[in-house]
Amino acid sequence: MMKKKSAILLSLGIIFGLLVAGCAPSTPTPGKDSLVVAMGGNPVTLDPHGSNDQASSRVHRQIYETLIYQTEGLDLVPALATSWTQIDDLTFEFKLKAGVTFHNGEPLTASDVKFTLERALASAFIGHIVGPLDKESITVVDDLTIRLATTRPFAPLLTHLAHPAMAILNEKAVTEGGEDYGTNPVGTGPFKFVSWDFDEKVTLERFDDYHATKALLREIVFRIIPDNTVRTIELETGGADIIFDIQPADVSRVDADPTLTLVRDANLSVTYIGFNVEKAPFNDVRVRQAINLAIDMEAVVNTVYAGVGSPAKGPLGPNVFGANMDLEGWDRDVDAAKALLADAGYADGFTTTLWTNDNLQRVQIAEIVQNQLAAVGITVEIVEVEWSKYLADTAAGLHDMFILGWTTVTADADYGLFALFHSSAKGTPGNRTFYANARVDELLDLGRTTTDQAARLAAYKEAQEIIRDEAPWVFTWTGENISGTHSSVRGFLQHPAGHHRLDKVSFSE
Amino acid sequence: MSVYNEKRQSLWLETWHRLRKNKAAVIGLVILVFLILVAIFADVIAPYDFRAQDLNATFVKPNSTHWFGTDNFGRDIFSRVVYGSRISLQIGFIAVGIALFVGGFIGAVSGYFGGIFDTLFMRLVDVMLAVPTILLAISIVAVLGPGITNLMIAVGVSSIPSYARIVRANVMSIKEMQYIEAARAMGTTNVSIILKHVIPNTLAPVIVQSTIGVAGAILSAAGLGFIGLGIQPPNPEWGSMLNAGRHFIRDHPHLTTYPGLAIMITILSLNLLGDGLRDVLDPKLKD
Amino acid sequence: MVKYIFRRILLVIPVMIGVSFLVFTMIHFTPGDPVITILGETASQESIDQLREELGLNDPFLVQYFNYVKNIVVDQDLGRSYVTNRPVTNEIVSKFPNTLRLALLGVLVSISIGIPLGIISAVKQYTWVDNIAMFFALIGVSMPIFWQGILLIILFSVTFRILPSSGFNTWQQMILPALTLGTGSAAIVARMTRSSMLEVYRQDYIRTARSKGLGEFTVVVRHALRNTLIPVVTIVGLQFGFLLGGAIVTETIFSIPGVGRLMVDAIRQRDMLIVQGGVLMIAFTFSIINLFVDIMYAFLDPKIRAQYK
Repeated sequence: MMKKKSAILLSLGIIFGLLVAGCAPSTPTPGKDSLVVAMGGNPVTLDPHGSNDQASSRVHRQIYETLIYQTEGLDLVPALATSWTQIDDLTFEFKLKAGVTFHNGEPLTASDVKFTLERALASAFIGHIVGPLDKESITVVDDLTIRLATTRPFAPLLTHLAHPAMAILNEKAVTEGGEDYGTNPVGTGPFKFVSWDFDEKVTLERFDDYHATKALLREIVFRIIPDNTVRTIELETGGADIIFDIQPADVSRVDADPTLTLVRDANLSVTYIGFNVEKAPFNDVRVRQAINLAIDMEAVVNTVYAGVGSPAKGPLGPNVFGANMDLEGWDRDVDAAKALLADAGYADGFTTTLWTNDNLQRVQIAEIVQNQLAAVGITVEIVEVEWSKYLADTAAGLHDMFILGWTTVTADADYGLFALFHSSAKGTPGNRTFYANARVDELLDLGRTTTDQAARLAAYKEAQEIIRDEAPWVFTWTGENISGTHSSVRGFLQHPAGHHRLDKVSFSE
Repeated sequence: MSVYNEKRQSLWLETWHRLRKNKAAVIGLVILVFLILVAIFADVIAPYDFRAQDLNATFVKPNSTHWFGTDNFGRDIFSRVVYGSRISLQIGFIAVGIALFVGGFIGAVSGYFGGIFDTLFMRLVDVMLAVPTILLAISIVAVLGPGITNLMIAVGVSSIPSYARIVRANVMSIKEMQYIEAARAMGTTNVSIILKHVIPNTLAPVIVQSTIGVAGAILSAAGLGFIGLGIQPPNPEWGSMLNAGRHFIRDHPHLTTYPGLAIMITILSLNLLGDGLRDVLDPKLKD
Repeated sequence: MVKYIFRRILLVIPVMIGVSFLVFTMIHFTPGDPVITILGETASQESIDQLREELGLNDPFLVQYFNYVKNIVVDQDLGRSYVTNRPVTNEIVSKFPNTLRLALLGVLVSISIGIPLGIISAVKQYTWVDNIAMFFALIGVSMPIFWQGILLIILFSVTFRILPSSGFNTWQQMILPALTLGTGSAAIVARMTRSSMLEVYRQDYIRTARSKGLGEFTVVVRHALRNTLIPVVTIVGLQFGFLLGGAIVTETIFSIPGVGRLMVDAIRQRDMLIVQGGVLMIAFTFSIINLFVDIMYAFLDPKIRAQYK
């Protein structure tokens, strides 16, 4: 009997020992040359053609480079392409930088660029970013020169080529990597891939043969910490040097903490409440305007976003090229709203539904809007719809009102307006309000095809004025990127699109 | 027949007397009754409409106008907790009700008739048991969509296997008892036997399991809310309130403290009652 | 007895087949299109159609199921994730040890807290010690796990700064998750220990031991404990299911890369093959544990053993 008992105790002891033993401390202690970045999203793949999610972009931004680089100030500067000339209406010729090597030692040549672009066009995930490129036209002129053309004139082509999804890949590495290339990325960027513990962390290391100024840090570790509160705690307790996406509830805390620095800049995202303009009563512009007037957007933004971001006056955020900053906001005026509703024949209000997916902020916006619209006699029922059904059904026009967002990833007005308001983009491509206005169509077409910057600006300015007046949206919110760093971190700049480059980051003494 | 009824009545009375001696169980019962009353009279007790927002009075700390303070929309937390009792208790009882009736039926039929019924049903139960309950519940909610009714169905259906098992085990041991043999010898129909003899005698462990099961269902609902498959806004279910408030827990803990305490007290009372019932009804501990 | 064990082992196979069919069917009827979920709001209809074709989602239901089973049986291939395109097998196998470790640590915590509490309660039955001990145990089970987790993090990571708040590699990182998870089932273990101990305590041989002049402590630990623990062990096996479920929430709060979190994310994204593979793996583990518990139960309780002859 005694033997049995001690046997049990012994085995328990062994089990305990095994449980605890095999654990090497692998969380790096933040030192002078190793940076720990904590983010909430989980990278999907490090193959830029395999996904379009932000978490993946944030990591592979450090590994890859594009032909053209869009700075944090949204200027376009040479990156892997040293210069480019426009040969005709549709064609561009790019000269590549000499002496660039990939992380695997292979030199960068034009054939890699051709391979990358053809592969990008075939990708279901990011094909829309290269969309207008004409596959047949991609020609390798020589090792460092490549020519490409679009199927129709496309003014924002260069900004699209600066998008992280247009990262230049090494043909050899991709072909050899096969289906598993996404976990073994090879790029030309200042950092190279070391390891990836899925759902936990990604480790990158400085690439010493980088063709430009080497990174200041030796190592970056991206830690995946989904819970927002815990992520902020990690920053406070030193478990991370930088964290992305600080939740509104923690902003003042990080701001007030003398050991931390709050970094906040306007980003390229917009949240909106869309109407189905083909369905009554929203086919009447007066009803749409009335709803815009009935909602106190300042209060919404303060409550839901705790002062982060700003109420939107139009469809574009302030740092998008072509954004009309003179638009007048729809400030709350309950009497005017009621008058308009009465005009339209709805003096007693009406009942309708407001769709949202399970995004926390959108649900909160819905709750407040529901409350505020009750004051003008509109009864709103909130319906939470599963995400893919949400997208499918709004694309099919089954909704009344819905809340959604859009990110103008290229920071160019074409990306932020065409897919949302052009009549040809109704449904799946992005125009879920089914809005159609001939003049707006004309202006958006003009903006897309003319390369005259002034003409583009003018066209977009007018288009936005019409859109603002016709109110196919309740213009809700433009966002901010909010990150936090330890006060010893230097050189951290946020890119409005959310994928921040880290090669200039270092620690002060 | 009347002899049986009298006997059963005195059995229940005896149980009740013994229960009263168990102080913990009594406390549990009292709290539970209190909560049920709160749920029934919520309209009278709650000073505010649970969905009334006041965006100028957000995050108010508990004071004399708002006993539990206000949340991020300026809604009165006390009123929301009071109304939340309705939802949480509903979820608990209905989910267990579903599990009990369906699971109990399956278990009783399997245990009593045996044979193909038994094999078939029990294999099905095995398959369901092979998947952890909460995963099953999550899958069901994913299929049915969010909402209170679907939540109740999901939690209920995922608990069916355990009730089936308990009832079956009990029925199997009762089946061999002499008074069942006697009844069958007398010519009583199977249905009658099941309804009049088998089921009443399996009640003891089932009651215990159900009491604790209600607690489990409420916690499961809270857990599902955390994952994002919970109740639609602006319904004040305690678990959703807890989940919504956790983002503010460092600066405004009162958003989570009160719904959390409400859940805890409810679960505690149910467990105390359940434990007491088990003590009282377990033949091995009778002395 | 051996025949019983053998039969039970064989039964695992049809159960697994049943599970795979059940899960496959459920996923198939789950509203939500994995392709649209993955591609998001910028996707064009062409991209959607293209990806759907690439993933083989246009085939009829039974064809998909058949292909799936064929892959498992012939190639031991559970397929690739729709979202990450990484092999399902790798995903699950790399994360399973973490979940298992978490669950086992949870078991450790629950028995470390539960058994002593139960013993104390039983020895001091009906005194205030009994009530307090049971009360403390119940607190653990009454708090929703995620609330408990966050409170513990705030207490130990922020206020006292002695424990880390996320990750699962160093032993310090494992303390809070294990505590959060284990306290929930500690109450049940305590309860079971208490009633089992109460029963054993009344036995004759305990009275004999006491009359021999042995101290109370020796009586409890040397003689009573052994037999007390038998039903407790079976309860602990059953608790495993609860712990696996609790692991889901715990993994998300503490950023632990485990199977629970994987499952929830996969269900949300309609990443069918991950859900399939994960459930199969979990169900298999579960069946083995249930099998073990059932066998132990039959082994130890002669009444039940007789039934299965």
